[in-house]
Order: sequence, then C-alpha cells, then structure tokens
Amino acid sequence: MKNCRIGVYVCMCGTNIAKIVDVEAVVKFVSELPNVVLAKTYKYMCSNPGQEMIVQDIKDNQLNRVVVAACSPNMHERTFRNALRAAGLNQYLLEMANIREQCSWVHTDIKEATEKARALVYAAICRVELHEELESMSVDMCPNVLVIGGGIAGMTAALEIADAGNNVYLVEKNDHLGGNLARVDLTAPYLYSARDLLTEKITRTNNNKKLHIYLQSKVTNLTGYIGNFKATINSLNGKPPEKNKPAEVEIGNVVVCTGYKEFDASRIVHYGYGKLPNVITSFELEKMIRAGRIVTKEGKIPRHVAIIHCVGSRSQEFHTYCSRVCCMTALKYAHEIKSANPECYISDVYIDMHAFGKGHEDFYCRSSEAKTLFLMYEKGDRPVIHKATSKDNCEMLIEVNEKLSGEVIEIPADLVILMVGMEAREDSHEVARIVNISQDKEGWFIESHPKLEPVATTTDGIFIAGTCVAPKDIPDSVAQARAAAARILARIAKEKIEVDALYSEVNENLCSGCRLCNQLCPYSAIEFLEDKKQSHIISALCKGCGVCVAACPSSAINGRHFTDQQVLAQVDGLFVIP
Amino acid sequence: MEGSKPKLKLAVYWAAACGGCCVSVLDVHEKLFDVVAAADLVFWPIAFDIKYRDVEEMPDQNIDVTLFNGAVRNSENEHMAKLLRKKSKILVAYGSCSHLGGIPGLANFSTKEELFRRVYSESESTVNPDNVNPLPEFEVKEGVLSLPDFYNDVRSLTQVVEVDYFIPGCPPQTERLLEVFTAIVSGAELPPKGSVIGAGTKTQCDDCIRKKTENKRIKKFYRPWEIQDDGVSCFMEQGVICMGPATREGCGYRCIKGNAPCRGCYGPPTGVIDPGAKMMSSIASIIDEKEPEEISRVLEDVVDPAGLFYRFSLPVSLIRRKLI
Repeated sequence: MKNCRIGVYVCMCGTNIAKIVDVEAVVKFVSELPNVVLAKTYKYMCSNPGQEMIVQDIKDNQLNRVVVAACSPNMHERTFRNALRAAGLNQYLLEMANIREQCSWVHTDIKEATEKARALVYAAICRVELHEELESMSVDMCPNVLVIGGGIAGMTAALEIADAGNNVYLVEKNDHLGGNLARVDLTAPYLYSARDLLTEKITRTNNNKKLHIYLQSKVTNLTGYIGNFKATINSLNGKPPEKNKPAEVEIGNVVVCTGYKEFDASRIVHYGYGKLPNVITSFELEKMIRAGRIVTKEGKIPRHVAIIHCVGSRSQEFHTYCSRVCCMTALKYAHEIKSANPECYISDVYIDMHAFGKGHEDFYCRSSEAKTLFLMYEKGDRPVIHKATSKDNCEMLIEVNEKLSGEVIEIPADLVILMVGMEAREDSHEVARIVNISQDKEGWFIESHPKLEPVATTTDGIFIAGTCVAPKDIPDSVAQARAAAARILARIAKEKIEVDALYSEVNENLCSGCRLCNQLCPYSAIEFLEDKKQSHIISALCKGCGVCVAACPSSAINGRHFTDQQVLAQVDGLFVIP
Repeated sequence: MEGSKPKLKLAVYWAAACGGCCVSVLDVHEKLFDVVAAADLVFWPIAFDIKYRDVEEMPDQNIDVTLFNGAVRNSENEHMAKLLRKKSKILVAYGSCSHLGGIPGLANFSTKEELFRRVYSESESTVNPDNVNPLPEFEVKEGVLSLPDFYNDVRSLTQVVEVDYFIPGCPPQTERLLEVFTAIVSGAELPPKGSVIGAGTKTQCDDCIRKKTENKRIKKFYRPWEIQDDGVSCFMEQGVICMGPATREGCGYRCIKGNAPCRGCYGPPTGVIDPGAKMMSSIASIIDEKEPEEISRVLEDVVDPAGLFYRFSLPVSLIRRKLI
C-alpha cells in the first residue's frame, strides 16, 4: 500500500522474549522492508518509557501504522492503542504480533524461534498496511443492575450497588434468601455463626428501597448489550400464567452469583450412602447441628464418628479439582461434635489437609490437639465402609489403607460424615446460555482472564462472582461480589460506555438476501429488511464476533478490522516471508 | 457496408474444453448473420480450417477480440494462450474453464501420474495390455512424432496470461454474449480491464424468486433426488445444497428454474475470492447441532464435498490443488 509509514517495535519482555528470540535479527530484517520507516527493540515496550518512545516516534517520523511484536493482544493491545491515541493516531492502525506466548514461551531453539518471530512480524506488517481508521461508538450506561442468585455473593453485590443509589433487581429461585450459607451452622475457622452473618445481610437487603427482590423467580431471557440489556424475569410460584406476568427490566450490567450444588454422595457406591442409614453428608450433619442434636438414625448419641474427606473431589472418576472448603469444614465438625459430646471419638480420614487460608493452619493445629485421630489415605485408594457385627460394639467399620503408617487400619464408626465437594449447578448451562457466557468442562463459568480479570467474562457487562465460578470459601465469594460491584459502579459513574468499533456491517451492493445469516447472531443483531430484501446488522447490538462474516457466502458482510483482505494478507505474510 | 468503418476481427479458440462453449457461440443461430456483418471470424477451429501457423503469421494485435474458452492443461493450450494474447487487442476468458479452471480443473485433486494410471491402465473400459502411455515425443521411421506436454496443473487463463475480460458460465448464456458483442461493435465505453462481463454483480439469490425465509438451520442434507422438491421454497431450506448464494447472477438462474440447485458455474460474485471456501464456511455455520459427533453425522450427508464446492473453481481457489 502506498504512503504507509510503519514503525515496528520488538519487545524483549525482559528476557522473556529476548532469551529465545534474536530480537536484533528481527529488527534488522524488518528494517529493510518497504514501508517500514523504523524498527526498534526495547526492554519493556509496555512500560511508560516504552510507550513514550512510540508516541515520540509517531510524531517525529509521521508514522501512520504501528506494529508491536510483544505479548498477546489480550494483554497489552489496549496499552498500545492508547499510545497511538496519545500520539494523535487512530488506535486501530496498530497490529500486534505475539512473539511471546506464541513463540518464545513455546520454543527452545533460538534459530527456529527467531525464524517464526520474523514470520509473525512480517505477517503483522502485511496486515497493518490494510488497516483502516475506525471510530468507536459511545452509548448510555443504564445504571440499573441485575443480580442472579440471592446467596451471600449475590446479596453482597446487590447491597453494594444499591447502597450507592442504583436500582438492583435480585432474582432468587428459592423462596428465601441466603443460598447454601443458610444451610450451615458455624463457619471455619473462627466459628462465627452463619446465621448471624446472614441475618444482617438479609435484613439490609429486604429494607433497601433500591433493591427489588424476586423470590421463586428466574431470568428467562436477556437481550441487548452492555449498558442496555433487557431481562425477563419469570415467577416459579406455580400460579397460572395469566396471574403471573413476567417482569421486564432494563439494566446496564449483570452479576451472576448462582452458586454451587453439593456432590451426590450416592455416586460413590462403596461408601454406602443411601443404603447405610448412618452414612450422611456434611449438609445433613449441618442440619442436625442447627437443630441442636447430633444423633444416629436410631436416635442414639454416636460414640465414634468418622469424617471422610474429598467425596467427589480430587478424583479421576468424579471431579479432579479440590473443593477448597471441605478440609476446614471437617475440622469445624470435629470441634462442634466434640463440644456437643466430649466423650465422642472422632476419626478424620483425609488425602491431604488443605489449610491454605488465613487462620486455617492455626485452626488445624488446634484441632489436632483436640484428640482427633487423623488417618491419611492415598488418592484413588478410598476407605471401605462395612456394616459391623453385633460383637464389634459399633455400627460400622471403616477399613483405611493408612498411608503414613503403611498399615491397613480398621476404625469403628457409629456415624460417618461424607465431606461432599462442590459442583456446578445442573441448570448452570441454561444460565450460561441466557447471559451468553462460557463454561469449562466441569460446568464452572469462565472468567475473562483467570488472573487479571477474575470477575469479568468475555461478554461485556456480564460479571460472575462466588462459587458459580469455582469452589471457594465465604471471604473469597464476598471479595468477588464486591469486586464485581466495584467494576459496575465505576462504569455507572462514567454514565457512557465506549463500544469497540469492531462490529460487522452488510454491504448493500453485495447482499442478495439469501438469509443464511439471519438466525445465527448470538446477540440478535441481524434483521431482515423486507422492503430491500436484504439483511442488515444493528451495529449497536453487534459484538463483532464474526459468526455472520464466516457464514456469508457472498462476502457481503464485512467484519470491521477483520476483513477478508486483512486476514488473507496476514496469512500470505506467514507463508511468503521474504 | 462499403465506406463504413472496418469490420472487427474476431477469433474463438478452445483449449482444455468440452466444446460446449464453442457451441454456445454457434447458438446465436440466425444472429450469426448480424455477427458476420459486423465482424470477420479470422480463427475458429471448430468451424473453419485455419492453421495455427496462419495465426502465428498475423501481425501482433491483429485480432480485435478473442474469445478463449477452456482451461490451460498442456503445452499446446499454453502456447495458444500466449500466442492469442500477443495477436489480440482484447482477450476474453470465455466460460468457466477459462475463467476459473472449470470441470477440467478438478483434475488438480490428482497428479499427472494418477490420471494417466487411471485413464491408460485402470479404467473399466481400458484395454492396454502393452501398457502404452502417451509420450511427448516418439520416433517412427518417418521422423519424430510429438504430442503436447501434459502438465500436472490445470490453470485458468488468467494464471497464464493477462486477461482483459471474463465472461462466466458453463457455457455462458448466448444472450449475454450477444449483448457483449453488440456493446463492442457499437463502440460503447468498455468496463475497466479485468471485469467480469455478461453477468451481474450479486448472487443467484438476488435473481431467484424461490421463497426465502430466515429458517436456514439444517439438521440433515439431502441430495436432490432424495426429496420431493416443493418447487417454491429455497433449496437450502429443504436441505439441498445450492451453490446459488456463492455464485454470480447473470444466467437467469436457469438450473433453479429447472428445479435443480445451482452448481456454481458463474463463479464468485464481486468481492468473493474463493466461492468453495465461502460456501463451506456458510454450510458449517448453519448446521443446527452442537455436539461434534452430531455435526459430523450431518456432514456425512455431503457427498463429494470437494467436487461439490469446487466444481468449477479449484485451480483459482486458495487450496488450488492437491499437494504434490
């Protein structure tokens, strides 16, 4: 392309890139290419001096295209776009070549990695020549917020946002607030009462005028885009539909806090759950504790209690992950049972003791002093529960292949407590579909970035918090809920939101109205204009995902910033590197 | 016609072609009299006995318009393409083979050796006990006999020489040819070099009057004989793959009028580089299944996808040919 003045910046990323990629060789190679005005390396291109260098170069050399060869655009595209803006250049005249994640981090041979870096940078140069100036759109941010789930996370987020003066619609499918926490007695490690924690929240939630609570309800539809969503809330109270009109609410952001469900212990057949009456789950024990009596099914006070860890967690057959809260909860049970019945012998059968959180290690030390018998078993080598005979003087016998002693140990038990892990709710895929977010293979919702964007999702305006993302304890859930609320409040404060200019558009001169694209848009952005017999994309609804661009057989739909010409030029660049 | 401007010199040539394109020129019927009134046909192997040598002896740019049909598959085709380029003011790639590589271009899914093995030894009708294969040169007592060199690649005309215009179709509609011819004779302003002429800019769907709704999600593909076509609704909505959405309009959607789905001979519409890839991408998008196994099951019903989607366009497509 004529009149292209390209600046190429090859980042060393400390030694992250420079250790494997010969950055000087890459610079030398690109310097000799037509249209490349200058090429430089720098230790950290994303640092302030790095960005300032780019800004200065753009001004001094009238650059009109910039290629940054560094990390993933997910990481720093925004940073460098801002640098272009600061220099008065349209931010879309940038292209990044990922020579870190896609090159230096995955190769060990300097020669090959350098060759690949050259190809990636050359492809980026071929692409950037075809970049066009694009303008972002600005839309109003509706200050109302929808919170799905009325557990501790949902209530925390809802209160935070409502206390700041915004309308919040809190939708809970049960007939009461509190979620899983409402089923718990005390909390580890400080033994605070869950009821006390919750009552305060529930009272505040009920009394807040800005907080509109929909119990026994669920969100059945969500349309629109960040700042301008419309949600449909349906009641589940079973009344006939004519008396049960769904509510339609307008919102700008959504927080999903749908929580978890416990693992179904009957799936592990040889623990005998559901067959042996005194094998119970942790939640069944909580219920007993809340009722004030820990007894066997026969109404007797148990003399021997065994607690088995990792039921459904950390196993190849069920869930490979750790459910994080069960170890401390098990120790809490030892405390609670001991204080209710000091005569009771407690065995704690575990794989590893995960005491990772604040105060947890101390709690573990205190528990081990409280005469609890700890028995360690090998992952995959589960203890076996038998019914005892009459001469054993107990209900059941548990055979444990004890790892530390290397011996098979048989322990008596009148009551066995299975520490059931957390798993994604059975309706989580439905929620994911309605709010348009993704799930991992276990069903947990996926965050936009696991480290840097833990509560955002890939759908702008949809946030996730609490145990619907992954197993976690109360402080982490609350922190996430507040984080999501803070993100939303910051956006509400700005009143407007800039929408990326990367939307798709239909070229009227090319669309023949075949209608192949009409039902494909996940954002309902495509309409069919009957008078023109052509399809049309509502740009404010389009997120630029490209589904319709790929589906259009006549190239009538153009994905801005991802045009056929741009993508093909990049592919050509990879293969025909000079 | 005395005293009027000199008559145009017109040539028609066939390279790797079936002859249908030349017949489409003959199909002007009595309009041929109008043609010959305005033009002299100086070279047309299907109709007159004019030798290659005669063409070679013409001055450069002697021919006003050459309609070149057929793909370039051997050294003779290539020689004639280059020769006619030199001798013609306007070189037109006429018909799908010349335009895109066409049906002969499907041979690019095989190598020359595979083709020869099939044709000269394995085909059901071949009797070749001595295993005789064509050779470029063969010595007999009268001298050396030669055959054109058979290439591995089939190419479109524009992959060999510079082409001024493209008239698509298998074969092109004779009416369209007459329009183009009339335009040239009348001295009307010609479109920019490299244009597709004698056709529209959009796709078949723009012309086609079959009823099109948004209901384009597909759970099962059918071949045309497997369904009772209702004659009214879009073929795609009946599960029959029609190349119309990725094919340039201009033929008057004649196949679809005859209740057969479009095969794609008019090639890509404006802006499309690879109609086969576009159509595959489109088909993949509209499959109404989520699980990979289900999607595979749906796709199994697409018989011979390479031949279906690239029937006319393989040599000019992104994949171009099988790797050698």
